[in-house]
Amino acid sequence: MAEVRIENLRKSFGAVEVLKDIDLTVEDGSFVVLVGPSGCGKSTLLRSIAGLEPVSGGTITIGGRKVNDLPPAQREIAMVFQSYALYPHMDVAANMGFGLRFARTPKAEIEARVAEAARILQLEPLLKRRPRELSGGQRQRVAIGRAIVRKPQVFLFDEPLSNLDAALRINTRVEIAKLHKLLAATIVYVTHDQVEAMTLADKIVVMNQGRIEQQGKPLDLYYRPANLFVAGFIGSPAMNFIAGQVTQGGIDLGPDGAVTLAGLTAAAVGSRVTLGIRPEHVRIADGEGGLRLSATVELVERLGEAGYVHLRLPSGTVAVAEIRGETSLRTGDRTSLALDPTHLHLFGPDGRRMV
Amino acid sequence: MPQGTFLRLLVFFLGPALLVYSVFSIYPLLATILNSLYSHQRDGSYLWNGLGNFQTLLFDPTWSVPFWNALKNNFIFFLIHMCVQNPVGLLLAALLSLPRLRFRATYRTLIFMPTMLSVVVIGFAWQLILSPLWGIAKMFLQTFGLGFLFAPWLGLESSALITVSLISVWQFVGIPMILIYTALLAIPDELVDAATVDGLNQFQAFVWVKLPLIWPTIGLVSILTFVNNFNAFDLVYAMKGALAGPNFATDIMGTLFYRTFFGNQLQLGDPSMGSAVATMMLLIILIGVMAYLFLVQRRIQRYSF
Ligand SMILES: Nc1ncnc2c1ncn2[C@@H]1O[C@H](COP(=O)(O)OP(=O)(O)OP(=O)(O)O)[C@@H](O)[C@H]1O
Ligand SMILES: [Mg+2]
Repeated sequence: MAEVRIENLRKSFGAVEVLKDIDLTVEDGSFVVLVGPSGCGKSTLLRSIAGLEPVSGGTITIGGRKVNDLPPAQREIAMVFQSYALYPHMDVAANMGFGLRFARTPKAEIEARVAEAARILQLEPLLKRRPRELSGGQRQRVAIGRAIVRKPQVFLFDEPLSNLDAALRINTRVEIAKLHKLLAATIVYVTHDQVEAMTLADKIVVMNQGRIEQQGKPLDLYYRPANLFVAGFIGSPAMNFIAGQVTQGGIDLGPDGAVTLAGLTAAAVGSRVTLGIRPEHVRIADGEGGLRLSATVELVERLGEAGYVHLRLPSGTVAVAEIRGETSLRTGDRTSLALDPTHLHLFGPDGRRMV
Repeated sequence: MPQGTFLRLLVFFLGPALLVYSVFSIYPLLATILNSLYSHQRDGSYLWNGLGNFQTLLFDPTWSVPFWNALKNNFIFFLIHMCVQNPVGLLLAALLSLPRLRFRATYRTLIFMPTMLSVVVIGFAWQLILSPLWGIAKMFLQTFGLGFLFAPWLGLESSALITVSLISVWQFVGIPMILIYTALLAIPDELVDAATVDGLNQFQAFVWVKLPLIWPTIGLVSILTFVNNFNAFDLVYAMKGALAGPNFATDIMGTLFYRTFFGNQLQLGDPSMGSAVATMMLLIILIGVMAYLFLVQRRIQRYSF
């Protein structure tokens, strides 16, 4: 296994710059997940690492070797595609051994490697079937098997689970996590799914419009998002944002009231800021206080053990609060919210986190 | 659904198609076969003749020599299409689907253009081009100092059939090209990406991944070529007339049938013998299609997605 190091990577399609100055290190044996809104360049970044897209600038190093000018097959990577991309005219064994055959690997070794991958992925009974005779989950495993037999330095996954149903997705997710441990593999993984990202990743990379907004451990991103974009992107339901202005000793939220907050520098007074707080850190509580806001209930969603109350603040901003257990709240009720002071996020006028 | 309603629906939806199909396809077919079993008399009446017409056609030298000649020519006509038109169509389709090709639409339209022209126009244009007197083919070759290569290709017994076949290839190459091109477009890009990661270059990916996936289309193109070639008539008629000269060198089943059925110059038209020729054409095409369906298609089927 090897480390992947990406420096100042740029990629344009004609005049459109799709990747801008990407700097990213994937440590040896680590699991890095790329997330971001649709069209932000995740697949393009992955395909650049694979060598399927020529890059416009910067360097990509895999295991200490600069690979910019190497074709995909010589980069010692393996890629698992969203549509699985199995060869429809070959059986499972041939699909998995195809790349090795072209690398002139001896026949006995191909068979041994295919057999081992089949054992790891429990594909043994399926080796003689064709892809269209397999279920979605089985095809997915074959695609992963095809990657394993190559014994690559790096595994690249592009939304590998997005075509599976919910139950199978959870299963396969767990299997991929196990596989990562078993093979001690370096993995770069693209997904849209928050849960996948949070559970699988050693490091999450949040991308937006061709840039990396933040990279770090899943919980670091969750508890200390570096900017408004990451704060809003990570976590579901999304973080609540309330606009305000810094005053002496607190923040003026306009018609919504004011909150008292210690630790603000004098220099910040007067600047426009955004207050962020996650639904789970908002409590429904009657009474007054330094961190209380009054609101009207718009909608109550009950999911069983937990639920979400959608509230409208006087300014019109909608906020969501998580509730535990039962509640007697109903649409139209007036109530007030208590914000947990230890989990308040403050973002400056440029969208960056303020301390 | 009550039985009556179901029957009425059946008649309503299937009736029109069945009617049109019967009147314009099944009836003429059966009538032709029936006709071939009678013998047409000078006075216009018909006498039952059993398989006599076929015996005459296959074994009486007056009839069998032109028949076997036309059949042989027709097979050559078909083989030239299979060996030139379809491979070239495949090549053009592969080139058209190159990712970084410019003016793609222009090429596609230009190559497909002759297919849309009338056969008469094509025949006439090529006759002018190849004319030994003032054809540009001769001048063209002479410009490059290759004038000695020129021959009156359409007029020589040895080359007339090949020339006509190649003109037909030129006219119809757009059809295999478009069909195969469409099939190539349907192959997901990710499949080629996967092959690239597996270490195949563009050419290898074409041979090992794309080609197997378009076998069904190539099979379809082949059988279409076969049917069209054995029903061909118009290009030969437009270029060489019903006598398919020189000395019947370009005579194919279509022109033989035309002379037999409608008559030509000194030959009188004979509806019964004509029907016998038509029935033979039907049989040949039927055998070809059956062989394709039972021998080839089953094997190809496994390659489909
Ligand atoms: N071949 C191409 N030519 C031109 N533009 C392209 C090409 N491929 C991708 N793009 C553009 O590059 C941007 C990034 O695309 P990319 O596929 O990397 O997005 P993504 O983050 O993977 O999105 P998704 O989550 O929807 O898969 C998009 O705006 C897309 O329109
Ligand atoms: Mg993508």
